[in-house]
Amino acid sequence: MFDLMQINPGLWVIAAGLVCALIPKTSATSYIRKFLIIAAPVFAAWLIFQIYDSSEVLGGKLSFSGIELTTLRIDNLSVVWGYLFCLAGLINGIYGLHEKCRITDSSALVYTGAAIAGVLSGDMISLFIFWELTAISSVFLIWKGGDRSYAAGIRYLAIHVLSGVMLLAGAIIYAGANGGDFSFNYIGLDAPGGWLLLLAMGIKCGFPMLHMWMQDAYPKASITGTVILSAFTTKFAIYALARAFPGTDILIWIGCVMTLFPVFFAVIENDLRRVLAYSLNNQLGFMVAGIGIGTTMALNGVVGQVFVHVIFKSLLFMSIGAVMYRTGTAKASELGGLFRSMPYTTVFCLIGAGSIAAFPLLAAFVTKAMILSAAIEEHLYIPFLMMLFASAGVMEHSGIKVPHFTFFAHDSGRRVKEAPWNMLAAMGIAAALCILLAWPWGGYQMLYDLMPYEADYKPYTVDHVVFQLQLLFAAIFAFTLLKRFKLYPAERRAEIIDADWLYRKLGLNIVTWISAMWTRLGAHTNRLRRSTTDALGRKLYQAFSPAGTMSEGTPSGLPAVLTAGVLVIVLAIAYMAGT
Amino acid sequence: MTDRSSVDHSAEGVHPAAKPFLFLGNENVKRRFIWIPLIGMLICIVLGMLYPQKHPLPIEKYIPGSWAVYGFLAYSFIVFCAPVLFKLLGRDESYYGEGGLPDPDYSTEHLHEEDH
Repeated sequence: MFDLMQINPGLWVIAAGLVCALIPKTSATSYIRKFLIIAAPVFAAWLIFQIYDSSEVLGGKLSFSGIELTTLRIDNLSVVWGYLFCLAGLINGIYGLHEKCRITDSSALVYTGAAIAGVLSGDMISLFIFWELTAISSVFLIWKGGDRSYAAGIRYLAIHVLSGVMLLAGAIIYAGANGGDFSFNYIGLDAPGGWLLLLAMGIKCGFPMLHMWMQDAYPKASITGTVILSAFTTKFAIYALARAFPGTDILIWIGCVMTLFPVFFAVIENDLRRVLAYSLNNQLGFMVAGIGIGTTMALNGVVGQVFVHVIFKSLLFMSIGAVMYRTGTAKASELGGLFRSMPYTTVFCLIGAGSIAAFPLLAAFVTKAMILSAAIEEHLYIPFLMMLFASAGVMEHSGIKVPHFTFFAHDSGRRVKEAPWNMLAAMGIAAALCILLAWPWGGYQMLYDLMPYEADYKPYTVDHVVFQLQLLFAAIFAFTLLKRFKLYPAERRAEIIDADWLYRKLGLNIVTWISAMWTRLGAHTNRLRRSTTDALGRKLYQAFSPAGTMSEGTPSGLPAVLTAGVLVIVLAIAYMAGT
Repeated sequence: MTDRSSVDHSAEGVHPAAKPFLFLGNENVKRRFIWIPLIGMLICIVLGMLYPQKHPLPIEKYIPGSWAVYGFLAYSFIVFCAPVLFKLLGRDESYYGEGGLPDPDYSTEHLHEEDH
């Protein structure tokens, strides 16, 4: 008999995904799949609730080739991600109810389950397995985006498998130096393998110059796929960083750069799903910086930010997905005026936009302020100013650009149906949570209850509300002023090149050039080899053939004697070499 | 999959819930919208002087409405960078030969080729 409480709850979600993949594809079984996609995350959340008792729970211990594995660990940090991923799985499931696709359903469940199981793993081997499984299962969501997403999916898979291999290598080095202990706890950069592990996690959470897979793959996935993808992979990596590298100074600067550079790409990007992918990168920067600051307030802020971020970022991706579902495009240059035909989606998108911009009474107002306040408390003024600059940038791309060019701006003339009921329901739940988790009277305190350390930060002080509104009103005023004087650039269709140009264009060109050179070199080498062997053969024939020079001036037996002599020498050398 | 039959470019088809808000598309309303953030910003600057920050940056004590100034300048800087960045980084949509092209199964972009 097995003990249910010893099994990682994520494994049940993975099992549900495998069942979805195996049951025959008929209209009747699609209801079973839809039932599983809703029920599995709920069941996993119930299991987490049953297992966790406010102290660290270790379970599912296995011994494999002398390595002790702890496949289940629920503590004050992992429990937040566990609940969050279950909630995200549920909302994503509702959002995708209209989609009759077995591949999407099964890969979404396996992906969700792998993310849940990964954050609830207590050792680095289990972590590695689920780390890779998230990559392998999620690539199908990208490929469901159509033919043009195939290459992006391959690149996504290659980069994430590389990240996993680096994670495993770092784990082996780390464990090797710690008596074979693979427990996943604080590591730090001074530990053997620490840099390798940081890099592996950095790839997955979009460190600068390692971020390109996100903007490459997410906008090319299917509509439902992009929503699902936005929830898990990067937040899984943030969890790993928060556990292994809290208080690592370099993360402050990496995080600050992450908050800044996407702002400049997002402003010129026309594809709104790619704009949101840059925005995702920017938000991850706040979390990475918070982990780097490493104080209890900063880490509470990170945990809170991760929680609300998954909700409001999903909400934004869902609203643009709903628009894409109805209009067929997510290009800002093609959209506009959709508030006339999609009013509910407009309201939900505005709530998501207000949340990410940290308007008072909306989600990120509380959590982002905790990270910024932690920076001030630690006298990190430059990082603080960088993050404040990025906050104005968030207002630009997610707070204004996404809703404005989709639902307002000029009227594109598109009159489409409102989003399907299930999409509206999923967006409604996410929007309600965005308000609830920032509600001053008992709302954000629920978020505080989830935080790993006791939280006493008071977000609704007059000065905080007033100064935050100063920043946001000033940004909106700047936008309206620039629009009035026609200084705001028009949205134009284009491919904006990013760091992936290094391998998609430069790298490809170098490989193509080397391949061409190799082919040409091969042709030359073949010609040279053929002419050399031909010349040698001709010379030997001229020397040793019955009509050759050796037969003319010497007795016919001499070549045979010479050949026998050479043979004797070769045999003697072989004999000596053998002894 | 896109419901192509639902794409209607006529003036009809406004959602009933959106009808009370159609004034938002009015050009005069759009032009006058600028007053809302301006007045909001000015009120917040005044309130900021009455209720200063408990933990300001050293320089913030000397700049009334410091976050408003910073927000305005930061936003404007980002937007003014856009044309330069677009010239540097913008390429044709078929640049990589794989993305950006309309996918007939998922997109109706081919119906609307003009930039606007």
